[in-house]
Amino acid sequence: MSTADLDQKHPLDLESARIGVRKPEQRYDVQGDTPDEARVHAAMVNFVKDFGATAATYMESCIHCGQCAEACHFYVQTEDPRYTPIWKLEPFKQAYKREAGPFSLVYRLLGLKKKVTTAELKEWQELIYDSCTMCGRCTMICPMGIDIATLVGQARHGMFQAGIVPHELWSVAERAQREGSPLGATPSVFEERVEWMGDEHEVEMFIDKDKADVVLTMSSIEIQKYPESMAAIAKVMNHLGIDWTFRTDGYEATNFGLLSGNTAWQRDMSRKIVDAAKQCGAHTVILPECGHAYGALRWQAANLLGEKLPFRVLHVSEFLAEQVNSGRLKLRKVDKSATFHDPCQVSRRGGATQAPRDVLKALGVELREMENAGDYNWCCGGGGGVITIHRADPLRYKTFEIKMAQIDKTGAEVLLTSCSNCRQNFDDSQAHFHWDKTMHSLLELVADNLVEH
Amino acid sequence: MHQGKTPETLGEELRRRGMSRRTFLKFCAAVASSMALPATMAPVMAEALAKARRQSVIWLSFQECTGCVESLTRSYAPTLESLIFDFISLDYQHALQAAAGHQAEEAREAAMKEHWGKYLVIVDGSIPLKDGGVYSTVAGETNLDTLRHVAEGAAALISVGTCAAYGGLPKAHPNPTGAAAVTDIIKDKPVINVPGCPPIPEVMTGVIANFLTFGRLPEMDALHRPIAFFGDTIHDRCYRRPFYRRGQFAKRFDDEGARNGWCLYELGCKGPVVHNACATTKWNQNLTFPIQSGHGCIGCSEPDFWDKGSFYAPLSTGRWGSAEGIALAAAVGTTVGIGSALLSRARQSDIIRKG
Amino acid sequence: MDLLEFARGPAMQWALILLVLGTCWRIAGIVFLKRKPDLSEPRSHGQMAGALRTIFSRSVPARAFRSRVLYSNLLGYTFHIGLAIVVFAYQPHILWFESILGFQWPALPNAVISVAAVVTLFSLVALLVKRLTSPVLRLISNFDDYFSWAVTVAPLVTGLMAVADVGFGLRYETLLAVHLLSVWLLFAWLPFGKLGHAFLVFLSRGTTGALFARRGART
Repeated sequence: MSTADLDQKHPLDLESARIGVRKPEQRYDVQGDTPDEARVHAAMVNFVKDFGATAATYMESCIHCGQCAEACHFYVQTEDPRYTPIWKLEPFKQAYKREAGPFSLVYRLLGLKKKVTTAELKEWQELIYDSCTMCGRCTMICPMGIDIATLVGQARHGMFQAGIVPHELWSVAERAQREGSPLGATPSVFEERVEWMGDEHEVEMFIDKDKADVVLTMSSIEIQKYPESMAAIAKVMNHLGIDWTFRTDGYEATNFGLLSGNTAWQRDMSRKIVDAAKQCGAHTVILPECGHAYGALRWQAANLLGEKLPFRVLHVSEFLAEQVNSGRLKLRKVDKSATFHDPCQVSRRGGATQAPRDVLKALGVELREMENAGDYNWCCGGGGGVITIHRADPLRYKTFEIKMAQIDKTGAEVLLTSCSNCRQNFDDSQAHFHWDKTMHSLLELVADNLVEH
Repeated sequence: MHQGKTPETLGEELRRRGMSRRTFLKFCAAVASSMALPATMAPVMAEALAKARRQSVIWLSFQECTGCVESLTRSYAPTLESLIFDFISLDYQHALQAAAGHQAEEAREAAMKEHWGKYLVIVDGSIPLKDGGVYSTVAGETNLDTLRHVAEGAAALISVGTCAAYGGLPKAHPNPTGAAAVTDIIKDKPVINVPGCPPIPEVMTGVIANFLTFGRLPEMDALHRPIAFFGDTIHDRCYRRPFYRRGQFAKRFDDEGARNGWCLYELGCKGPVVHNACATTKWNQNLTFPIQSGHGCIGCSEPDFWDKGSFYAPLSTGRWGSAEGIALAAAVGTTVGIGSALLSRARQSDIIRKG
Repeated sequence: MDLLEFARGPAMQWALILLVLGTCWRIAGIVFLKRKPDLSEPRSHGQMAGALRTIFSRSVPARAFRSRVLYSNLLGYTFHIGLAIVVFAYQPHILWFESILGFQWPALPNAVISVAAVVTLFSLVALLVKRLTSPVLRLISNFDDYFSWAVTVAPLVTGLMAVADVGFGLRYETLLAVHLLSVWLLFAWLPFGKLGHAFLVFLSRGTTGALFARRGART
């Protein structure tokens, strides 16, 4: 599919509650007109790349107990057994057993494990993309400790190379690679909006400084939909007197290479930030309120680039917690009750569960935690690229019901999170359900309550 | 020995010896019950036995220790069983007969000729097959030839003792003489096994009485043993079984448990898998049997009992082979595992390179 | 050689060989696959501790999941504990271990073993029923699941039959031999199918424990 085709067929829809592209009609999406055999081959090559000792340990260990289903919001809300997390990996597992496991030679010689077919891959497209946010709740329930979420991420690599990706996700990722942003926040658009926010909120903005201690990054959802967050982070940084900058050559923290399964693109996207930070000699890169951006740069980038990163990588909530805990950042008390929705990739899978709670404590809010908050938090249902896939909307709304019930139960006045993708999903679902609650950004709340020196 | 006398019936013989009919009936009832025959069979048996003619018996001793003969003949007092032995016409038996050398062999030939097709052959000892059977010969003839020759005119054969029944000790590993059981050689005649090292005399009595009464051998199991005596295991009928059920085991031959008469399972008793009548018929005039005297059953009436590991190894232990074998398995397994991992790695690189 | 002798001798030796060979094969075949160093900056260095912690902590489902997996967990616990009692606390079994390990430990009374075996059997049957009736389990189950179930149940059934001497015409020594053979089948199959979780559980939980500890996440 050519670029012109893509933009025409799937024009960007920046006006709707959540940013995406127009819905295609097919049940299964394929990219290009590669023959089936080549697709399977491509999938295999890229499945096989990921079969290291860790993936092997996991795939050997499943005892088919089915408990992962009970942790998955997609299964719990639909009771469709196909949404059992480990089942989503079936073709990946099959490929592993045939190609790399300890008994793979026996399997091949006796023909016990068939080659994966295109039909199977197409059938699994929905399972690997539409119905998995890679939130990793299943990882926490698995009695064998299998990290299913990571495996789904790896399975996406083969799916992408086979050209069997949901169209919207594919086109968003393609756009990100081509334009530098999945949602049209090209460098010039970014620069424009930074200036606009600086003027609007009367905050001094720094962009493309040659040298800076800290490089700030943004998620395109924020740039396009929640630009106030740019003002908010700038305000906080200026307030703390930190030497910071935005970089037009490395500002986009979202990584649709990761979400769609294109490792090369994922690497390119991470490299931009890494190079920009290196160039201006930053000792810290602060990631925006975005879940998967954290996973991409904090835990995966160094391994994809094959080098240790010469700077610290902090999620903005971690940064705020550090400042609050060290006493550098003083905040006005907010006399309200609040509940905090944990972004899966930052809390459960990122290890920064405590950070936002430290910030909330400094804000003096009455924290009314949801049931299982923190590491066992229910995913909002929009992560892992699911929110870009239109045909998955009914499923996503269905899973969101869990969130609504949980939040209603807390009776909290303010809803907070520190992930703009979650926030986007909350906004969209709020509109869908005509719900009376609106999700807010933790960062913005902090920025609004700085104690002036 | 009653050679040369005019044959009389068993009834006449018993009367001659002053046995009352009542005593005789009692004997028949005892034999019938030991053979698990219905009580109504006792008078039938009495009648049949009373009318029975002297049965010619040829006893062949091969690779044996004479323990079986000792067991069957050395009773403390004359018993009803001994009467049965007295009654048969034992026409040939190395240890017991008066004749020797050529005379003995001639007596055997004569008996065979006279009772061709009707005589019983009792065998004790195994038959060496290796090297043409040279390891055991009598009067210049190998045991194998003798057995084949004598069996030809026999009505039936009784293998007495574990050696005749299964090869026994001579057959124990490495079986230097190629010892074999009677059933390995004689296929065209009815053969019954009365195994044991030695066998229980009462079982012999029962088998012979059965033959005299019904003219055939009693019902047998797959190992040619009379079911009446070998149907149950020692463990089934062992008086120490309650201790087994309660998990009370003697751990040593001189510990508290041993003194209390607890189960000898842990000391290697093979009772649970040994089929014999020791626990019920017992030995020495129904006085005792090995377990009762404090030693576990060694399973002497079972095939190859000598080669089934230590008599003192508990039944639940197996022969687990060698530590070297297991170590080798670990080494081979690890090697194959590493090999498969390396193969997979090579395949991975190959697949990735070819793209 | 009769069946019991075959079971106590060559069959046992081969089963042990297969058990050891398969286990080494499978573990080596996994751990010698390529393993990339993790270049990301660790939040914590307590990877070993994390691995150990997860190996233990995953034995009990987190509170968040407890109510949803209560039934299968109770059954799972019942049959694992029941099996352990039957395997390790029955006197004849202890004697078997002693013949290999050289030491023994106190046994439980036979009545306790019998009760444990029956309870174990029932919980395994209940789990099979669940596997056959739950749409999730029906979907994800394969030959391995059913075969492994059968291979686990067989020694229990044959063992109970041997103890009770209920053989439908089979003699005790045949029952014992069949029991032994069923155990050897379990041994021989264990490393190759899902029963391999007996050793893989440490590898798998440990891997995730170390990985998550490195990130400072809950393990």
